[in-house]
Amino acid sequence: MSAVHFYLFDETYEQVENVPAHIDFACRLAAHCYRQNQKIFIYTGDQTQANQVDEYLWQFDAQSFVAHNLQGEGPKFGSPVEIGCEVPKGSRQILINLSPSMPDFAKRYPQVFDFVPHQEELKQVARERYKQYKQSGHQLTTEPAYPAQ
Amino acid sequence: MTVSKAFAKDGLLAQAIDGYQPRDAQIELSKSFEKIIKQKQLLIAEAGTGTGKTFAYLVPALLSNKKVVISTGTKALQEQLYHRDLPLIIKALSSKRFSALLKGRANYLCRYRLQINDDAQQITDKSLKQDFKTVRTWSTRTKTGDIGELTTINEDSRVFPLVTSTIDNCLGRDCPDYEDCYLVKARKKAMDADLVVVNHHLYFADLAVKDTGFGELVPESDVVVFDEAHQLPDIACEYFGERFSTRQLLELSRDIELEYRTELTDVKQLAKVVEKLSRVGKDFRLQFPIDVEKGNWREKAIIEPFSTHVTKVEETLQFSYEVIKNCLGRTKGIDTCFERITHLRAVLDKVNELEQLDASLWYETTPHHLSLNLTPLSVADKFAPIREEKEQAWLMTSATLAVNEGFDHFTDLLGLKDYESLVLDSPFDYPKQSMLCVPRLIPEPNDREALSSLINIAKRVIKASQGRCFLLFTSHRMMNMVATALKKQLDTDILVQGQCGKRELLNLFLEQDEAALLATGAFWEGVDVRGDALKCVMIDKLPFTAPDDPLNQARIDNCKRKGLDPFSYVQIPQAVITLKQGAGRLIRDVEDTGVLIICDPRIVSRHYGATFVKSLPAMKRTRSLDTALDFLKA
Repeated sequence: MSAVHFYLFDETYEQVENVPAHIDFACRLAAHCYRQNQKIFIYTGDQTQANQVDEYLWQFDAQSFVAHNLQGEGPKFGSPVEIGCEVPKGSRQILINLSPSMPDFAKRYPQVFDFVPHQEELKQVARERYKQYKQSGHQLTTEPAYPAQ
Repeated sequence: MTVSKAFAKDGLLAQAIDGYQPRDAQIELSKSFEKIIKQKQLLIAEAGTGTGKTFAYLVPALLSNKKVVISTGTKALQEQLYHRDLPLIIKALSSKRFSALLKGRANYLCRYRLQINDDAQQITDKSLKQDFKTVRTWSTRTKTGDIGELTTINEDSRVFPLVTSTIDNCLGRDCPDYEDCYLVKARKKAMDADLVVVNHHLYFADLAVKDTGFGELVPESDVVVFDEAHQLPDIACEYFGERFSTRQLLELSRDIELEYRTELTDVKQLAKVVEKLSRVGKDFRLQFPIDVEKGNWREKAIIEPFSTHVTKVEETLQFSYEVIKNCLGRTKGIDTCFERITHLRAVLDKVNELEQLDASLWYETTPHHLSLNLTPLSVADKFAPIREEKEQAWLMTSATLAVNEGFDHFTDLLGLKDYESLVLDSPFDYPKQSMLCVPRLIPEPNDREALSSLINIAKRVIKASQGRCFLLFTSHRMMNMVATALKKQLDTDILVQGQCGKRELLNLFLEQDEAALLATGAFWEGVDVRGDALKCVMIDKLPFTAPDDPLNQARIDNCKRKGLDPFSYVQIPQAVITLKQGAGRLIRDVEDTGVLIICDPRIVSRHYGATFVKSLPAMKRTRSLDTALDFLKA
C-alpha cells in the first residue's frame, strides 16, 4: 500500500500566471523531489494538462531547472520527471496525481501526492478520490498547502 | 582624462558620436579595465551582445599611454575594428596615439616570389595566368601590399601562394627585396605604433616564435586585449603543436625546382630531388581512403603500409639533404630550402615519437594532402608562464565566455590562476524580444525518425518566417539531407553552405526576400544580420563535438588522466559556448525580435540541460512550436 499525502488549498493560495494553484504547487513539489534525486511520475487528466505541466516546468527559472519529459519523448527509461495521461510502464518512487480519479496503478508507488483544490467542483471530485484511496487501503495524510515564499 | 568622463552623458563620446547613449555595462567594463591596466592584472569578462565592449576597451587602452596590442578572432573583425571603431574613438578622444593594422604573412605581397615566378614562366593554366597578370599590374601601385585590395581575384585563387611568402620560403634578411618588403614595412609600422590590431593566429605565431624575425611585438607591449577570447584555447593548442604535411613536401619540391631552373641548372641531381619529393608525398596520401578523414596516428603509424611510407619520406628527406648540402651558399633560395629540409626532418621525428604521453598524435587527410599532427594535451603549462613572466595588463573578453556564469572551463585550459572576472548582461530585453522553443514530442537526435521530424519542423519554420531564417546543423550530412528534401518540397529558395563562398552566400541571403539559409560550423559564429532579415534560428541538435575530433579527444584524455569526468568538464562547456554563439546570431540589436528553435529534446530531459538553460540569454521559453511560430508572425 502507498502513503498518500493530500495537500489542501484555500483562497489564500494565489493563482500564478494562468496556472491553477494546485498545478503550480505540484510542479514545485516535483522540482523539490527532483533536487533530492527522486524519480517522479506526474499523472494528468488529459494531454492538454500534460502539456500545461510540461510548459510550466520548462518555464521555471533557470536556477530551478527540472529535467523532464512527456510520455512519448525523452530517453529510453524516461527522465527524472515524466508527465503524461497514459498508464505508465514500470514504477518510480513518487506519483503526483493531477487526474480527477484515483489512478489504478497508484499502489505501484511508495509515495503518492494528491491535491484538494479550492474551487468547489474540483474539491468535490477530490473528496471522491480521497474516499477511493481510503477504500483501497492506502495510508492517508493531509496538510494545508502554502505558497512558495 | 578618465574613462568615466569620456563615457558621461555629455562626455567626449556623446559629443563626437551621433546617437551615443551611455550604457552601464559598457562603463563598468571600461572602468574595470582601466583599473586592471594600472595594476597590470588580468581581467576576464563576458560582455553580452550589444554591451559595446569594443568602445569599452578602446577608451582606456588609448587613454593609458601604453603600448597596446589588440588581438581579434578573424581578419574581418580586425578590419572592422581598425577601419570603423578605432577611428571613431581616436577622433572622439582627440587622441594623438598612433595605430597600425598587422595581418599574417600570407596577406602581404612578396615582391621576390612575384619576380621569380614571373621569370620561371611555368604557369600554363589560363585563369591562373590572368590572375597573375592582375597581381603584377596591382603590384606597381599598391602602397601596403595587402592582397585584400585585390577584390577582383577569388579568395582561394591559386595565384596567392605564388605571390606571397611562407615562413618556410621567406629569405628574410638575405632577400634582395628586403628593403622594400611589404611585410617588413607593416611589421615596422606595428613596432612603432602605440596600438596595434592583430589577430589570434598572428599573436600566437609571434608568441610561439614560429615566425622568425618577429617575436618582438608581444614582449614589447604593456597591454594586451583579446577580443573573441573564447577561441584562444583552440588556437593556442594549434600553435603549441606540430604539423607535418605532404603539402610542405610539395612546396619544397616546387621551390627547389625554381632554383634548379634558374640558377642551379648544372646540379642535375636536383631534378631527382624535385621528382622524389613531389612523388613521396603523393604516394603517402594514396595509402589513405579517397574520402577525407581524421584519426589516431598512433594506431596507424605502427602498421603497414604506413610505417614503410614514413621511412620512405625520411629517406627522401635524407637524400635531399645530402644533395642540397653540396649547393649551400650558391643561392639564398637554396640555403632556405636546406633549412626547411632540416626543419621537416625534425618535425617528422616529433610526430612519430609514439611513446610520448602528453600529446595527441593524429592524422588528417584533405583531397590531395596528408598531415601528421602533434597536439599537446594541455597548453596550460605553456601558456601560464607567458602570463606570469610578462608584466602586462590583459583583458580577455567575448560575448560567449562563461558557462554557468563561471570561467573555470576556460581558465583551466589556459592555466590562468590570478584574475578578476566580470559577467555583463546584454542590454537587450531577451524575454520580450525572443523566444526559445524545444518542440514537443520530437525524437532524440540519434533516432531514425530524427531526419523526417527535422524536415517537418524546418518546413513550418521556413513558411512562418517567410524564409528569414538560418538552419544551423552540427553535421554536413544532416544539412545536405535536409536541404535535398526541402528543395523538393518547398518553392522557397534554399541556400546551402558550400554552394559558394561564405560572404557571397550571406549576400544572397540578404538580397533575396524569401531565401532560407542552411549552414554548419562557419555560420555559428561571427555572422551579423540585424533587423527583420533574420527572424529565426533553428538548430538541429546540441553541438557536442564529434568524439573523433582529435583536439577534443586530446582534452578528453587529459581530463580522464586527472580523474575528472570529461563529459562535464570538456564536452558540455564547449557545446554551451558553441550554442551561445549560434543563438547569438538571432538578436543583434535592441529592435530585433526572433525565435530560437532547438530540435533536441535532451536540453529539456537531461540534468545537463540546466547548464545550457542557465548559460543562454534569458529568452522566453516554450515547448509549443505553434506558440513560437505565432511569435514570429506577430
